[in-house]
Amino acid sequence: MNLPKIDISALPDLNTLTAAFGSLFQPGQAGNDDTVIIMMVFVYERLIQP
Amino acid sequence: MAIHPDLLALRSDPAPQQLAHDALGGAIAQWRESALVRQIESDFEAFSQGAKLAAQNGLAALFDPADPMAGALIARLIDPLVAALGQHPLGAVPLRHYADDQSATLVLCTGGGAALSVQVLDPVGLSRQRPASSVTFAPGQLHERILAGSGAAKLVSLRAMRPGGADLDSEELRLEPGQCLHRNSGEQCRMITALDAPLVLLRLQRREAGGALTREYGLADGRFIAQAAASPRETRLELAAALLGRMGRSDAAPLLAAMAEEEAGQSLRWQSLKECLGLDTATGFASLCRIAGRAEDPLAAPAGALRAQLIEAYPQLEGIA
Repeated sequence: MNLPKIDISALPDLNTLTAAFGSLFQPGQAGNDDTVIIMMVFVYERLIQP
Repeated sequence: MAIHPDLLALRSDPAPQQLAHDALGGAIAQWRESALVRQIESDFEAFSQGAKLAAQNGLAALFDPADPMAGALIARLIDPLVAALGQHPLGAVPLRHYADDQSATLVLCTGGGAALSVQVLDPVGLSRQRPASSVTFAPGQLHERILAGSGAAKLVSLRAMRPGGADLDSEELRLEPGQCLHRNSGEQCRMITALDAPLVLLRLQRREAGGALTREYGLADGRFIAQAAASPRETRLELAAALLGRMGRSDAAPLLAAMAEEEAGQSLRWQSLKECLGLDTATGFASLCRIAGRAEDPLAAPAGALRAQLIEAYPQLEGIA
């Protein structure tokens, strides 16, 4: 069967979008969690190390 | 370009840099050699893999107010490090660390979504911050011990979730040295409001994985503001799915279909499904139909709507539905 090629930019998102890990870090809540540290390490481990 | 003589000396010869590295690394290695720290590291390993804190005696003792050894244990690490930094001011402490104008954090152990860290919060930096207008709940376990300093905090609890927000409770909390605080950070958030002196905390944290979400609500009215993935793995996989789509890797379509149908965060599953549909219509559409047919799946309704939308746009898909 000849199926169409679907353009994913036309596909809907879910009603509530979920942001990337670490993006809700709030400086005003110091001590809530240390996502910035983890994000830095995450970037390092993913991008710098092979 | 002006370069400070000390930096120039450091660049001219690798020896000072190596000496600093050895001195700081040596101080940490010596601390890690003690039987107590070895026990704590072994307990941490078990805790990071899901074991209960209460079953790990060495680690649990750090967060027991009746056991005073936590302060001495941390002092045995910090004192030699400060002495080594005094001799090598340009040395870098070879532990993960982070600092800004209101806090400094040193991570002692990390792995498996867990971390044991020492954190110092600065009263001056904190007083410069505008009062928080929202509260964030990041699912996981959090155990804290106040090693030094005192102040005031607000403990905000998520009582119940409702459409468009959550019911929040708030109680005032006095922070005193020796105090230990244990909470599920997905349901309670401790927000420091004022400090009398720098607050030094020992913190043990274990994040929840498997599609858990960090959620932010307005403090005044509990309205839902935003949500984010609570684990780096979810975001990493979502980025990988998007990358496979942009690379046109149609050979990855079966993998993306499996990711869409397995137990994970809704955002990751939906992203995988969309990329799968873009790469291989037949595989993606079959996966979409399976998800739409699962009554208990939270993605069943959006998948059903998308299936109807696609069949309307491409009637030939009805033949494989």
